[in-house]
Amino acid sequence: MRISITVNGDPVAQPVDPSDTLLSVLRERLHLIGTKWGCLTGDCGACTVIVDDRSVVSCLQTVGQIDGADITTIEGIAGRGRMMNDLQEAFVTHGAAQCGFCTPGMVVAAEQLLRDGVEPNGAAIREGLAGNLCRCTGYSKIIDAVLSVALARME
Amino acid sequence: MTSYYRPGSASEAVAILAANPGAMVIAGGTDLVIDRRLGRADPRAPLVDVTGINELRGVRWDGDELHLGATATISAIESDPAVIVRTSALAEAARVLGSVQIRNMATLGGNLCTASPAAEMVPPLMVHDAVAAIRGPAGERRQAVADVVTGPRTTILASGEILTNVRLRAPALSGSCYLRQTVRWAMDLAGVGVAAWVLTDGTGREAAVQEARVALGAVAPTAVLVPGLESLLAGAPPTTERLGAVSAAASAACEPISDTRGTAEHRRHVAGVLAARALSIAHARAAGLWSGGLAPVNGRASAVTSSGERA
Repeated sequence: MRISITVNGDPVAQPVDPSDTLLSVLRERLHLIGTKWGCLTGDCGACTVIVDDRSVVSCLQTVGQIDGADITTIEGIAGRGRMMNDLQEAFVTHGAAQCGFCTPGMVVAAEQLLRDGVEPNGAAIREGLAGNLCRCTGYSKIIDAVLSVALARME
Repeated sequence: MTSYYRPGSASEAVAILAANPGAMVIAGGTDLVIDRRLGRADPRAPLVDVTGINELRGVRWDGDELHLGATATISAIESDPAVIVRTSALAEAARVLGSVQIRNMATLGGNLCTASPAAEMVPPLMVHDAVAAIRGPAGERRQAVADVVTGPRTTILASGEILTNVRLRAPALSGSCYLRQTVRWAMDLAGVGVAAWVLTDGTGREAAVQEARVALGAVAPTAVLVPGLESLLAGAPPTTERLGAVSAAASAACEPISDTRGTAEHRRHVAGVLAARALSIAHARAAGLWSGGLAPVNGRASAVTSSGERA
């Protein structure tokens, strides 16, 4: 089949096997390799992208189900013409990355959590990011970064 | 290339399944996509994607009847304001299933039809006496959810049949609760999952139990209803003594295995503890005594007194 989707604001039409995963289409066809190929079982969250205002694990999302969808990957989180948004800058200032492998998925999941109006407290943010595993940082700095943006965006 | 069908109606889906023996139904895909990649399911089997079927979608209330479409997502159930208040056990199970991302994809029908012994949504559906609608070549039939799952990964659905919806009633003076024990507080399967439902004869501390059901998940090949609760509970409030008897009945109803999530003995014990706790909260909700919101996600619910107050 041929799917027409919007990726980071750009219309994309691709012939696909509908049972292919969104992750493989993003990385191998569109060369958007910020979205990481992690566990492939939906556990680690490194492949998180936003599909129509909901975060999903793209390793389990078949493309046959998302014809017409609006997709945002880490490459499009900041918005057109910007290097980083406030959340990405907060990850930098809080030192919320070590090896960096989980970071794109973490930022995408956190961005959707913020857009959904997560309560600005550590417990709610931890619960919201439970599907994103980081094996380096111990999470504290990640939570601090997201919390700082949750508070800043309320002002 | 895999044959992939995206029917627009349940009857079209049934016709496609009849014409393609071995075809598999895909909804959220959170189990099936993994199983196909790992070869636990045939990766060449045709897929019938039911997420494009309007009549299978959504969470809807009609008076005190709750209508859950087979492809209603877990996050849609978790966030429905009336589900939270009137069928709290469903909301409490939904919000501990997987992660935000998984809940945005996974469906009620998938959770039921995948038939994991630890399926989060099954004990709450059982205590709410939910009825599943199943569509096949011969038309529609209804089955109590308690009878749908027949063993690990097996259901009564015949090949060619699909689940279309699950319905249940939430009458006035009823309340429910779901609690679970896990090793990790998130992204883990239940070691023990317990749902309780109570119908009372009034409000307040002295409200007597009219009907009660407790279902246990992850402690037997399928979720099980605890037998004999009516005689233990009916006609009186759930006193500490009566809750003790509920604990014993719940522990006795378990046939647990030992694995990484707990030993059989530990599961049996925890099932009893959580059964009394969940029943106490369900009674408090039914009797209008509960103001504590949903139970904590980590299963370590704060101690609850027999009158339903947080200790």
